[in-house]
Amino acid sequence: MEKAPAKKTTKVDQRTKIITGYVEYVLEHGKQPASVFKFAKELKMKEEEFYTYFTSFESIKSAVWAKLFDDTIGNLESQEVFKEYSAREKLLGFLFTLVEELKKNRSYLLSLYGGNKGIKNILPVEVKTFRHKFKDFANEIILEGKETEEIASRPIISDRYDEALWLQVWFVFQFWIKDSSPSFEKTDAAIEKSVNLAFDLMGKSAIDSFIDFAKFLYQNK
Amino acid sequence: MESKVKEQQSIPTSKVQRAAKFISTGAKVGGNYMKHYAKKVVNPSMTKEELHTNNATDIYNSLSQMKGSALKIAQMMSMDKNLLPRAYQDKFTMAQYSAPPLSFPLVVKTFQKSFGKSPDQMFDTFTRSAVNAASIGQVHQATKNGKKLAIKIQYPGVADSVSSDLKLVRPFALRLLNMNEIELDHYMGEVEERLIEETDYLLEVKRSREISEACGHIPNLKFPIYYDELSAERIITMDWISGKHIKEWMDTNPSQESKNQIGQALWDFYHHQVHNLKQVHADPHPGNFIIQEGDQLGIIDFGCVKVIPEDFYQGYFALIKKELLINQKDLDQIFYDLEFISDKDTETEKSFFKAIFTEMISLLGKPFHVEKFDFADDDFFNEIFLLGERISNDKMFRKSRQARGSRHGLYINRTYFGLYNLLNQLRAEVNTTKPEWLK
Repeated sequence: MEKAPAKKTTKVDQRTKIITGYVEYVLEHGKQPASVFKFAKELKMKEEEFYTYFTSFESIKSAVWAKLFDDTIGNLESQEVFKEYSAREKLLGFLFTLVEELKKNRSYLLSLYGGNKGIKNILPVEVKTFRHKFKDFANEIILEGKETEEIASRPIISDRYDEALWLQVWFVFQFWIKDSSPSFEKTDAAIEKSVNLAFDLMGKSAIDSFIDFAKFLYQNK
Repeated sequence: MESKVKEQQSIPTSKVQRAAKFISTGAKVGGNYMKHYAKKVVNPSMTKEELHTNNATDIYNSLSQMKGSALKIAQMMSMDKNLLPRAYQDKFTMAQYSAPPLSFPLVVKTFQKSFGKSPDQMFDTFTRSAVNAASIGQVHQATKNGKKLAIKIQYPGVADSVSSDLKLVRPFALRLLNMNEIELDHYMGEVEERLIEETDYLLEVKRSREISEACGHIPNLKFPIYYDELSAERIITMDWISGKHIKEWMDTNPSQESKNQIGQALWDFYHHQVHNLKQVHADPHPGNFIIQEGDQLGIIDFGCVKVIPEDFYQGYFALIKKELLINQKDLDQIFYDLEFISDKDTETEKSFFKAIFTEMISLLGKPFHVEKFDFADDDFFNEIFLLGERISNDKMFRKSRQARGSRHGLYINRTYFGLYNLLNQLRAEVNTTKPEWLK
């Protein structure tokens, strides 16, 4: 019984060692290692040991993203005021905190995604876990927003809101990657404005009343 | 590698968005003109007032969405009331009071960036939403140790966007202020300098303290205390000044003595700054003045301070000497010094501009020519307004190929226009004191 937790910590240590080793390698060389063999050798680890924790570099990158998400949420929940936030403010809070977490890893993220034009169209595989986690978080917000009527329930479209919010997160990330304003103030402004737009669109608006009215006219023709 | 650097330096998104905003306004304004002329064909009696109202609404809407320096310019244009047709004024005066607020998470973030703490950790209470909007920031109310505080928070990215905003505003300023391009550029530099200063909150705290200490002896004035340890580059903490804005206060029907007391305090405040300190709170719009119980005048917001250069001071105020208007030679010299006329002008131009400026000065200097001046006199303001209108529509003026008047005059004129307007709103009669050398 006593041995099990001890074993677990070494396991976590190895895992963290690989992650930090990988991040450091990318930071120093500006690219990822040529092969798992070379990388494992650098970490003074057998290649097969590497595979007990990760199966490829992609899965390490994925773990980095997952950590970014967990740190963001952890940080957010430690702020007392977070519980009192409305849905709109929760999303704002999430993005502002996320940007802070991203900042700690800017060089790493820049060397992987900075010059990459492709991320606009194709989502890198390693971001999928992050996306998945975010969507769970977003669905909570959306549910809450629907309860407080901040967000209007609309047939078909409202099931896709989580996807829309995810696109927004990805937009903010790309904006931030290219941002060169002092202390990334432009990103803050971009977050503020885009979230306000998103919630204004999701909220009950003139269009809903219009559709409702049009439906009425059509049915009573 | 090189392409990466290039990518990082450019921030096209926001600029394009801003430009798009302005272009759509431009199109709308153009549309309004078309509508106006189309309607005029049908109904020749339609006035320009209606057109101005439409334009003002569209321009105001776009400016208030942009915030930052654009809003500041809206404020400024509304300050120089006499430069603007009436419909523009009313709409722009709104800009002095409200703009859409920042979200609370962004406020929290700004605090964390500056102090590493959230507002809840720093204050006993802190309002979740803004209680007031300042042009480049917003104000929250807080309490700490039983004291009521006002906390001003700057919008992110404002400092960065001053220059690009000004460039975008240029075509509108041309249209609205009826200026020609040369004239405008002459002043834009000055405006840009002031606006960039305004985004520096640390400088503002320093100046606020300097001026409020130097003016502490003037009766009936109240200044807030500023807190260094609770202020940063983007945040200013000061005492909460409770009371009423001039408009609200006037609705309570104060007695003439009260009105005069407030008016006199205001006049003394500016007198001391201009003639003794040679630096002046150059933002006399109604939102910066609060009237407290017992007819005390609270003064806030020292974001815009103009330092008056000595040689400009001499020339400018020499103009208000009454007898000067008789002595043609001295007057010509001052006109040259203040860049009202130059050697590039033809003789007709010279005499034309001299005549206009003499008229302007004798009008604006009127309060200085008497011991006591009644600012409730609407005829006086109408005269100024008519003159302003006449000048801005004058062909000779619009075609003039050079800027008239020193750039320093821009903010000093604005200050005096503002001061006169405030005193007019107050319906106050004031002892118009002047320094010894002008008597």
